[in-house]
Amino acid sequence: MTSSTNGSTINGSTWRRDALIAAVALAVLVSLPFVANKGIVFVAGTLALHVVFGLSWNLMFGQTGLVSFGHASFFAIGGYAFAWTAKMFPQLHPLLLFAGAGVLGALVALVVGMIALRRSVGVYFAILSLALSQIVYLLLSYTPSLGQEDGLTGIRRPLLSLGLTTIDLARGDNYYYFMIAMCTLLAIGLWWVVHGSMGRVFKSIQQDPERAAFLGINVQGYRLRSFAIASGTTAIAGALYGPWLQLLTPEIAHWTFSARPILYTLLGGVQSFWGPVVGALCFAVLEYGTRTLHGLSEIVVGCILLLIVLAFPGGLLGGLSRLGKRMAGKPAVAAKPELAR
Amino acid sequence: MLAEFLSPLFNGLFSAMVVFLFATGLTLIFGILRILNFAHGGFFMLGAYLAFTLVRLIGGDMSIASYLLVSIAAGIAVGFCGLVVERLIFRRLQHVDEAYSLIATYALLLISEGAVKAIWGVSFHSATTPSALGSAVVVGDLVMPVFAIFIIALGVLCYAVLEWILQHTAVGKLMKSLASDPWMAGMLGINVPRFYAWIVVIGFFLAGLAGGLLLPNQTLSPNLASVFVVQAFGVLIVGGMGNIRGAFLASILLCVIDSYGSIVFSQVPGIFFYVAMAVMLLARPQGLIAGARL
Repeated sequence: MTSSTNGSTINGSTWRRDALIAAVALAVLVSLPFVANKGIVFVAGTLALHVVFGLSWNLMFGQTGLVSFGHASFFAIGGYAFAWTAKMFPQLHPLLLFAGAGVLGALVALVVGMIALRRSVGVYFAILSLALSQIVYLLLSYTPSLGQEDGLTGIRRPLLSLGLTTIDLARGDNYYYFMIAMCTLLAIGLWWVVHGSMGRVFKSIQQDPERAAFLGINVQGYRLRSFAIASGTTAIAGALYGPWLQLLTPEIAHWTFSARPILYTLLGGVQSFWGPVVGALCFAVLEYGTRTLHGLSEIVVGCILLLIVLAFPGGLLGGLSRLGKRMAGKPAVAAKPELAR
Repeated sequence: MLAEFLSPLFNGLFSAMVVFLFATGLTLIFGILRILNFAHGGFFMLGAYLAFTLVRLIGGDMSIASYLLVSIAAGIAVGFCGLVVERLIFRRLQHVDEAYSLIATYALLLISEGAVKAIWGVSFHSATTPSALGSAVVVGDLVMPVFAIFIIALGVLCYAVLEWILQHTAVGKLMKSLASDPWMAGMLGINVPRFYAWIVVIGFFLAGLAGGLLLPNQTLSPNLASVFVVQAFGVLIVGGMGNIRGAFLASILLCVIDSYGSIVFSQVPGIFFYVAMAVMLLARPQGLIAGARL
């Protein structure tokens, strides 16, 4: 439990533990279409995207202390970029388009970050990102070629040619498996960033930006990097979302969707890599469990969220690890991320 | 010619006061408790629905007095919700990091949305403007609805009252001292928890009141909760971290810019509010009125 919270070097035990957790999760996801109905498979596929969405947000918040209230705009940028280019240039290879969506997301983040991070951190950056995401939302809602408020419909699941063989992603559960594979790659990428040398620099910035700067770390530059990596990753997740739903509406750029990764992370726990995963899973289970209770579903989800926050104010994983430490007789250390400074 | 220039100004002022009336309670709670209350929109919506039901119960045409009374009643009911929320939730989150109160307020937003859906259903409702406010004043070729003039006046009045309370009364000074250093205020013998409770109740009262007052202007649907929140957050931060005067100035500045911008670039109405907001945050990150709390 402690290995991922204090040291960030890739040591054997962290690696083995995380690989084991990932393997179990993957085994469940891969076997799901054989044992569960279509509804649950759909929820699981969507969950995989939300997990990447949450993990990438926490790369900014948990690692460099950057709070973004507009992360959904990058999800939407990726989604619309893929759907639009796939419609306009159907001859291009889908993997190229997915990569292109990611690059576009990262580039937008670079440009925005270069201007925004120079002047603002903390709650200012949060509100600034909120303003920028509203601009994206309004542009999507009013641009005729992007379907305005009705969005883009009939987004096709592409043919995936892999040199030797061609896989039709529209057939059966192919797209589900493709999405799981892509999300796994993205999550491994994020894990590698967090636990590698860049992750260690990130962590020092999160703990004390002033001291990190004094030690010669370009705080702004590294924050920019985390912002760009997180946004690019989210843009790819967004790109995967279009063909999964076969429909995109501006709602995926709305601020209520930007709140999702924040909730996942805080609910699951900021300090652990797996925090957003736990949070997203909780949300998916709650929403699936209450989907038939019209109107009451919000009340139930809201009440359970409240109970979790009041019972485990450091997130579920933080609460559990503290509980574990208390059992072992060690003093508890509360997780304390900062929002405003 | 005159109307071409003045009409956007008038519309901008009208939407500015709508946003300001919405943002007052939010600003008060953020200024003192440092809680960014996502649920504010939810309770604003609750106030609007309550006022709507009261209007239905009374029936017939509303006079201005009954319209104001209905709004105040909605405000009091929502203020009571605030008391419950403070007791059950905010008080427990006092010693937890600010970021976690975000989840709590988001959960409250969900609960208020669910409550509205369960009680009033998901269909759209709308209330009529009181007939006394239904006409319009025409100056030259400038048409000004009386309701809009009324809201502008209410916004200015609301600002003047809050400003007077904050700057010239003992309660206001107490609030300012509490906003700048709650620990020291506690040391000096102020009952800080009780004061916090009152602030939350007043903040929620203002949310409900705004819901009632702006009812004739809105289409009621469960989406109403998330309509003004982002604009209000913008006003709050551009104004300078929860200060009433800053919020007042920021709402006027942003809404008037947006109003003129929408004429120049009519393809995407509303976008200039956020463009102006982003520019302001970059140019003056400390806010319009820096340093001052409340």
